[in-house]
Amino acid sequence: MTDKNPFAHVPSEPGAHKEDPIIIADHVQRRFGGLTAVDVDHFEVQRHAITALIGPNGAGKSTFFNLLTGFDKPQKGEWLFNGKSMKGVSPAKVARAGKVRTFQLTKALNRMTVIENMRLGAADQRGENIFAAFVPSLWRQREADITERAHDLLHRFKLYEKKDDFAGSLSGGQRKLLEMARALMSEPEMVMLDEPMAGVNPALTESLLDHIVKLKNEGVSVLFVEHDMHMVRRISDWVVVMAEGRIIAEGPPDTVMLNPEVQEAYLGVHHDTDLSEESSS
Amino acid sequence: MKRSLGTRAMVRALVVFLVAAAAVTWLLSAQSTAATSQSASLTSIVTTDTANHAPALGSAAIADSIAVTEVATPEQTAESDAQSRVLQNVFNGVVFGLLLALASVGLSLIYGTTGLSNFAHGEQVSLGAMVAYFFATDQPVSIPLTPWEFVIGWPLWWAAIAAIVIAGGTGWIQDKFLWGKLRKRGVGVVQQMIVSIGLSLALLNFLQWWIGPDRLRLSKAIEVRHQVGPIQIGNITLMSIAIATVVLISVALFLQRTRLGRATRAVSDNPSLAAASGIKVDSIIRLVWIMAVSLAALGGILMALYDSGTKFDVGAKLLLLMFAAVTLGGLGQPYGALAGSLVIGVVVETSTLWLGPDLKYATALGILIIVLLVRPQGILGRAERVG
Amino acid sequence: MGDLLVDVVREAFTPTTAAFALAAVGLNFHFGLTGLLNMGQAGFMLLGMYGFAITVREGGPIWLAVIVALAVSMVFGLILGWPTLKLRGDYLAIVTIAAAEMVRYLGRSQNFNSLTGASTGIRGNEFKGPFEDLSPFPDRMVDVGPFAFHGTRSTSWWLILVAWVIVAIFILIFARLSRSPWGRVLKGIREDEDAVRSLGKDVYSYKMQALVIGGAVGAIAGVIWSLGASVQPDSMGRPTTFWIWTLLLLGGAATIFGPVLGSILFWCALVLIKGLAAMWIPDTVLSQEQLQPFSLLLVGVTLMLLVIFRPQGVLGDKRELAFND
Repeated sequence: MTDKNPFAHVPSEPGAHKEDPIIIADHVQRRFGGLTAVDVDHFEVQRHAITALIGPNGAGKSTFFNLLTGFDKPQKGEWLFNGKSMKGVSPAKVARAGKVRTFQLTKALNRMTVIENMRLGAADQRGENIFAAFVPSLWRQREADITERAHDLLHRFKLYEKKDDFAGSLSGGQRKLLEMARALMSEPEMVMLDEPMAGVNPALTESLLDHIVKLKNEGVSVLFVEHDMHMVRRISDWVVVMAEGRIIAEGPPDTVMLNPEVQEAYLGVHHDTDLSEESSS
Repeated sequence: MKRSLGTRAMVRALVVFLVAAAAVTWLLSAQSTAATSQSASLTSIVTTDTANHAPALGSAAIADSIAVTEVATPEQTAESDAQSRVLQNVFNGVVFGLLLALASVGLSLIYGTTGLSNFAHGEQVSLGAMVAYFFATDQPVSIPLTPWEFVIGWPLWWAAIAAIVIAGGTGWIQDKFLWGKLRKRGVGVVQQMIVSIGLSLALLNFLQWWIGPDRLRLSKAIEVRHQVGPIQIGNITLMSIAIATVVLISVALFLQRTRLGRATRAVSDNPSLAAASGIKVDSIIRLVWIMAVSLAALGGILMALYDSGTKFDVGAKLLLLMFAAVTLGGLGQPYGALAGSLVIGVVVETSTLWLGPDLKYATALGILIIVLLVRPQGILGRAERVG
Repeated sequence: MGDLLVDVVREAFTPTTAAFALAAVGLNFHFGLTGLLNMGQAGFMLLGMYGFAITVREGGPIWLAVIVALAVSMVFGLILGWPTLKLRGDYLAIVTIAAAEMVRYLGRSQNFNSLTGASTGIRGNEFKGPFEDLSPFPDRMVDVGPFAFHGTRSTSWWLILVAWVIVAIFILIFARLSRSPWGRVLKGIREDEDAVRSLGKDVYSYKMQALVIGGAVGAIAGVIWSLGASVQPDSMGRPTTFWIWTLLLLGGAATIFGPVLGSILFWCALVLIKGLAAMWIPDTVLSQEQLQPFSLLLVGVTLMLLVIFRPQGVLGDKRELAFND
């Protein structure tokens, strides 16, 4: 881990090349009937950093996000994750490759307990194979390891006391934390967060932000889609701005907002996003 | 805008029907032409006794149709015989399709407006026929759990109207006291579907308990048959066709031309959008239920006449055909239900020519399965409704 | 009244009750664990019956007949699942009903008379022999307390023993699998498929496994049922599937003993209701032949009430309701 800013020499322009990209995407296009939702020429995400993907409503961020995580298929385009092609790869395989995602509408598995939710997130459990499932001795040990890791994460996210409760009985914020903790069970290289602040009450926001920063410190790369500019300014190392399906700007958080194109994109579409500096605290 | 959408839908439906009918007819006359040239080996051709126009219902149908060994006749007359058989079957299919459409339109509208796959819809058809029988028959009938028997013996017209009115009433009751309440409680569509399965079981057995398991006649009138070209038609059949056509056209006019009808189509197409534009969705749904059950009841009565008989499970046997028709046409699309019903009707009737009478349902089911796999939204439906 | 009670208790352990309990265990894999709306379990049962009976009739040994029964149902499951598992819930329900009905129509069709015996089906003496030959019990009526069954033939003590042992085995299998990580994945799928995909599991493959396994269990249930009755396609129609659903929901879907409890309650209640109705309601109001539809009417109403008011059944946990809204 170098203390040097990996973005020191990266130009602030759309499609800028990064020093050590974990994702590289080229000519990605997604159309719905006559509407082009995503049209990205080039896109790179820096490893071990927190990248924010922002833009006004309808910019195509969620669509692009789904494309990158395998939950949608583009008409055209290629992208690499860790040098491996992810074109046409199913969402489950993308996750297994080391890139997990969360959902805007939290998908805590409500009728399962918190600890079972966590265990489900783990990878490499032979017991998940039907034949091995019959022979507990084949998977008991791994189950114990998984449970231990789950306990650690639950402690870290302050959910340990709730571990035997059904996920449906948790508060909205707790379920968000659960989803994030669960995503970390497989020790992913990259975590993709889909509007992590959506619907979260302000009291929880700081805690969530801290968790995300801690991820980066552990070497996990983070990409998140967000509307909350406060969060973007607080924790992101690099900001990518989309509008009308294309990337219109890239740069460090403090300067990218001043970009006139960005301001126009927002002012033209989404009036209440607060771009001003005074509101950052 | 809506006007042209409706017209486009109707045109599409018509095109599909004509193409399907033409294809089936061509296919079968080609087949039977080839078949009659080996007439000696074809001992299994079932000549549908046109006096009994191969009713699509029940195993009694198999007893009714007569299997005839093809005698080696000169090819030309054999060929025209085969062709007229095909035409008769196509005609029968159209008639059956019209009657099926009466029942299916309601099923489609219920799905469109509420998302419910109503497995009890078959029983709404049976209910119509059974209630009409209850009023019209000169056999003694009774009310369940009472020991008294009596004869009502109304003229068929009165009995039919009474049955349809009562059916409409049960539709209203169903929505007010069951489905409406479930929707308000937020009970999911899947759970509601299983409730409808329970209701179907309950109604089926209720009808068997009340009316009995025998095959019944709604009308003692003997059909007078006419020959129109190669096709035989009875006057009761003619009347059924007339009534069904008039009613279906009225329904279409209602949906196209009246404000209430357009609102119904809007809710059926996209309930949340309709609610957002100020339409009183709950009232529309109530209306849909009354209409759906009344139409199904009418369908049951006309089927009983067309078939010279009915039974407590007539609707249960039709349920999957109705689903096939509605799915083919597009769930939630009333014109689709009409088109789908006609196609299913023709397919079911004409398949008897080469598959034998006991497999005719299998073809319809095959279509249902294929449609669901290949294009689940049907001919006229929208893609989002599916996955 | 005493006789009626004997009848009711007797019904609790007949082969029919066991067969339906087993069919419900199969459905539990489908719906209880995975949330699959399989409305065609009767189709799997019928295929199992056909596979077994036809193999025996053609001279095959009993172990081969069982394998054929399993194989046929598993192939059916694969064919059924391959294109349909991507369909939404109620669509899957319609397809599975249609598929099961097709099996029934094809089975009862005259075209297949030489294979399946068409609507008459396959008679007992054509396929029960090898099973009955294995019986250690005497070849006559045997009374155990107030319960009289034949020792060996058709609905017999031998069949009762075998049937319930098989039920116990599959209950154990279900218990083990549902508590395993494999079962956990299925439960996740029941909750939210996309979430499970995002955790790296291949959802389609798991759903297929559940479908095939549950169907195979249904096939064995069909074999057991036919050994006490006969192979007759019309006895495996839509109502049969709906009864299995009712008794699974009654006992408690997704629970281990729910299928057994549900089956026992279902069949005993039917006998009890019919018996009480025959005793207390005069013949003029409710005649003998009306007893059956009357009691089945109550079954339908029970299903409705269960789903509306107590979807978790007797043994289920309300928080773990088997319904996904």
